[in-house]
Amino acid sequence: MDRKQYEILALTFRYWFVLLIMIIFVQCTIRTIRDVFTNRKVMRSSGNIPFLLVLFSLTAFGLLATQSSQGFDFDTAILGVLVSAVILFQFYVFYYLFHGMDEVIVLIVDTLAILGFVMLQRLTPELAIRQIEWFVIGNVFLFIIMLVLPKLRHPGRFVFPLMILGPLTLFIVALFGQESGGATSLLGIGPITIQPAEFVKLIFIIVMSYYLDEKKTFRERIPAFLFVMTSILGVVAQKDLGGALLYFLVFLFMYQISTSDWLITIFTAGAGVLAAVFSYRIFPHVQVRVEAWKNPWADIGGKGWQVAQALIAMGSGGLLGLGLGLGTPYVIPASRTDFIFAAICEEFGIIVGGMIIGFYVLIVLRSMNKAYEANEPADMLLASGSAISIGIQSFIIIGGVIKMIPLTGITLPFISYGGSSMVVSLSTLALIQSVSIKNQRFAKKMGIDDEYEESELYYNEDENKDNYNVDEEV
Amino acid sequence: MNHLKRNIKSACLVLIIILLLQMGYFYYNLFLYSDRWFSDPNNTRIRIDMIDPDIIPGRIMDRNHRILVETKSVTGRNGITTYYRDYHSYSKFAAHIVGTKRYGIGAEAFYIRYLLGYDNNLIERIYQKAFMDQEVGNNVILTIDVELQKFISEAMGTKKGSVVVMNPETGEILAMVSKPSFDPAKEGEKPADESLLNKASYGRYPPGSTMKLVTAAAALEFMEDIDNYIVECNGETVINGVKVTCYGGEAHGKVDLSQAMVYSCNAFFAQVSCEMGWKKLKKTGENFGFNKDFLFSDIRTTSSQLPIERWTDDEELAWSGVGQGNVLVSPLHMAMIASAVANNGVMMEPKLIHGIETRSGRIRFHESSVFKQPISAQTANKLTNIMIDAVKKGTGKKADITDVQIAGKTGTAEVGENKKPHAWFIGFAPAEKPTLVVTVVLENTGTGGSNAAPLAGKIVQKAFGMGY
Repeated sequence: MDRKQYEILALTFRYWFVLLIMIIFVQCTIRTIRDVFTNRKVMRSSGNIPFLLVLFSLTAFGLLATQSSQGFDFDTAILGVLVSAVILFQFYVFYYLFHGMDEVIVLIVDTLAILGFVMLQRLTPELAIRQIEWFVIGNVFLFIIMLVLPKLRHPGRFVFPLMILGPLTLFIVALFGQESGGATSLLGIGPITIQPAEFVKLIFIIVMSYYLDEKKTFRERIPAFLFVMTSILGVVAQKDLGGALLYFLVFLFMYQISTSDWLITIFTAGAGVLAAVFSYRIFPHVQVRVEAWKNPWADIGGKGWQVAQALIAMGSGGLLGLGLGLGTPYVIPASRTDFIFAAICEEFGIIVGGMIIGFYVLIVLRSMNKAYEANEPADMLLASGSAISIGIQSFIIIGGVIKMIPLTGITLPFISYGGSSMVVSLSTLALIQSVSIKNQRFAKKMGIDDEYEESELYYNEDENKDNYNVDEEV
Repeated sequence: MNHLKRNIKSACLVLIIILLLQMGYFYYNLFLYSDRWFSDPNNTRIRIDMIDPDIIPGRIMDRNHRILVETKSVTGRNGITTYYRDYHSYSKFAAHIVGTKRYGIGAEAFYIRYLLGYDNNLIERIYQKAFMDQEVGNNVILTIDVELQKFISEAMGTKKGSVVVMNPETGEILAMVSKPSFDPAKEGEKPADESLLNKASYGRYPPGSTMKLVTAAAALEFMEDIDNYIVECNGETVINGVKVTCYGGEAHGKVDLSQAMVYSCNAFFAQVSCEMGWKKLKKTGENFGFNKDFLFSDIRTTSSQLPIERWTDDEELAWSGVGQGNVLVSPLHMAMIASAVANNGVMMEPKLIHGIETRSGRIRFHESSVFKQPISAQTANKLTNIMIDAVKKGTGKKADITDVQIAGKTGTAEVGENKKPHAWFIGFAPAEKPTLVVTVVLENTGTGGSNAAPLAGKIVQKAFGMGY
C-alpha cells in the first residue's frame, strides 16, 4: 500500500485500538470489583473478551500487513490469525479443563501478551514469531503446573534440593555466563540461551512459600536467610541490579506476610537501604544509573540517553499515540525488551500505557484475593508471593522507564521479548492458578459454594486436612 | 492463619497503592512535560527533511504577519529539490524568539508541533494526506512586533541585558530582546559566548530595588498600620543589629511607605521585612510566583528564587526585602510582577503565540488565561499611585519623557565589589489604564535611574507611537 494511504489507515485505527483495550480493561475491572469486594456470587464466564482479543490481534496484524509498499503481506496477516487461534485454543482449553481457574487473569495476561506480539511484529518481525513460540511453550508449562501442583501431596519435600540448586545456578552463571547489556546473566545450553535468574525467581517464590510457613522460630529460619542471601548475592554477582532489587523486595514482602516479624523485616529493609547507598558509593555503574535518573537531560548524549529517549517517545505519543507503524520506537534503546513500555506508549498512546499499569493492578488484586481465600499457609504464600513478584517486577521496570525510580534492567512481565521471561511469567501465573484451583476443590469438598462463612472455614480446616489429602490420592 | 490473612490484605494494599501512585506519576508527568519532551532537539521523530520531506514546515510570523522564517526550495542541476529554512533579515532582531532547530532554542525548536501541523485534528490531517499532493504544516503567528524588537535592539546597542515589553491585560509579549544576540541566518558562524542564552527568560538577576514592589505589596496586604509606619533613615541605619545602607549613603530622614518607594530607601524596606517576618514576605513572594516552576504553554522560563525560611537570620531577611541577598529573578518574571500591579492585581500567563494559521488560512487564536491573582485590586492601586510618584519626582524621573504618564520603579542591583551594578527599571503606561509593561535590565551599567529609566521611556514613547 502507498505510504500515504497507510498513514491515513493507521491514524484512524488509533481510536479502534484504544477503544478495544479500554473495553477489555473496563470489563476486567468490573469483574474484579464484583469478585473481590462483593459477596455476590459471580457467574463463571469470559464475557466477550476473547472475541475482543481476536478482533484486536486480527486488526493490528492486518494493519501491519498493509504497511509494506509491495502490497499485502500475507505472512503478517497469517501471524495475526495464528495469534488469535493460539489465544482462543489456550483460553478455552483451560476454561473447560480447569474448574476454579481464574479466567480473568488469563485474559489479562493474553491482552498484555498480544500487545507485546504486535509491538514486536512492528519492531522486528523475526522476534514476534519467536515470542509467540515462547508463549506457547510457556502455556505448556502453565498447563503442566496447573495439572500437577494441585494434586501434589507434599510439595514441601522438594524444597531442600531447590534451595541448593537456585543459588548454585546463579553463581555458575555469574562465572561462566555470557554478557549482554552490562549484565552477565545468560547461559547457553545447546542452541538456546536462557536467563537462569528468571527461573531461580520461581524457585525463590516456591522455597519461600514452603519453607517459611513451617519454621516458626528464628533459628529454624536461618537456612531460609542463607538461601535468600546467597541468591541475592548471586544475582548481584551477575550485575543484574533489577533482579537483585526484585528478589530483595519479594523476600521482604513474603517474609513479613508469613511471619509478621516486623523486627527482622524493618531491620532487613534498613540493611537493604544501606546496601543500596553502599553500592552507590562503590560501583560506578550504579552511580551512572542514579545520575541518569536525577536528570537524564544533563548528559543526554551519554548516560541519560536511554531514559531521555523513552521520555521523548512517550511525550511524542500523546493520548492516542502516533499510530501503529507511524512512530519510530526503534530509536529507543532496548525497545524490544526493557523499554517496550515506552514503545507501546509511543504508538498506542498513554491511555493504553496507563491501562497496562491498571492490568497489573488487577492481576495483583485478583491473585491476592486467591491467596486470601486459600486454605493452607503455603498456598497463601505461594499465591501472594507470585502476585508480589509480578507486581513489583512491573513496577520496577515501568518506574525506571518513566523516570520515577532509577532504571534497572528487567523485563516487563508478559510483554517484553524474552523466552525465559515469558515462560517464567506464565509459570508464576500457574502458581496462582494452582492455588485458585485448590480453593475451588476445597470449597466443593466442603460442600460450600462461594457464599461460605469465613469463620466456619477456619474451624473445619484442621479436621478436614487428612480427609482432603486422602481423597486426592484416588 | 488469621495473621496471614491480615498480612496478605496489607501487602495487597501496599502493592496496589504503589502501582496506582505509579499510574498517577505517569499521567501527571506526561500532562505537564510531554510537550517539552516532544520538542526536545534530540527527538528524531520531528526532524525536518531537506530532501523529499513528508511535511513542509510552516512559517513563523510576527503579529503583523511579517514573515520571519519560511521554508523555501531550490532545484539543483541534477533535478533534486532541496528545501531549507529561510531566515528573513528581520529575524536577527528576534533571534532568541525565532531561534534555531540546530541549537534547540526558540520557536523553531519549541513550536515544531505547530510548524509541522501535528496539532491539527484527525480530519484535517487525513484530508491533507488524502487530497493534497504535499503536506504543509501550520504557520505560527507570534505576539511580538518585530519593528519594536528592532527599535529596542538598536537602542540597547552593545549593552548586555534584556528588555521585555508585554500587555498586562492579555499577557501578550510585544517584544523580548536579549543581548548579546546572534544572527540565525548565518548558520556557519559559531555564536559568541552567552549569545544563545535568552536572558529575558533564562537570565537570573538580583532584582535590586525593584523587589521593593513585592515587599511593599506584602506590607500593604499584611501590616495594618502601614499607612502610619515611619522609619528614620540616616544613610546607614541599624535595624535589629544589622547595618543597612542606602545607595550612595544618602540619608532620607523620616520616611513612610510612599516616600521610601519614591526615593528607594533601603532602610525602610529592611525594617518592614524584619517587622513582618519571613513568613509573610515569603508568602507574598510565592503568590507572585517565586520559588515555583513556571510551566507556561508558550514560553520556557527559569524559576525565580526567594530563599527565606524559618532559620533565615535578620540580615538575610532584611536584604531579601530590598532585593539583594540571595534573591534571583528573571526579567520576564519581573515583567509579570509589574503587570500584576498594572492589571488590578491579576497576573496573566505570558503569551508568545498569537495564533496558528492552518493551510486553509483559518487562524486558531490562542486565548489569554489568568495565571494567578497575587494581590488585591486595592493594593495594586495603592502601589500604582506610589509608582507614579516615583517617576514624577523620584528615582525614575528620567523615564518621564513622554506625554503619557508612566508608573515605575527603578532598581540598582549590587553584584559584587569592583563591578558596576545592574540597572533595572520596571514600569507600565499609561498609569491610569495600562496597556504596556516595560522591564529593562542592563548589566553592569550603573544605577537604574540614570541608565535603565531613560531607555524604558524611549521604548514607551516608541510603542505608543506605534499604537500599542
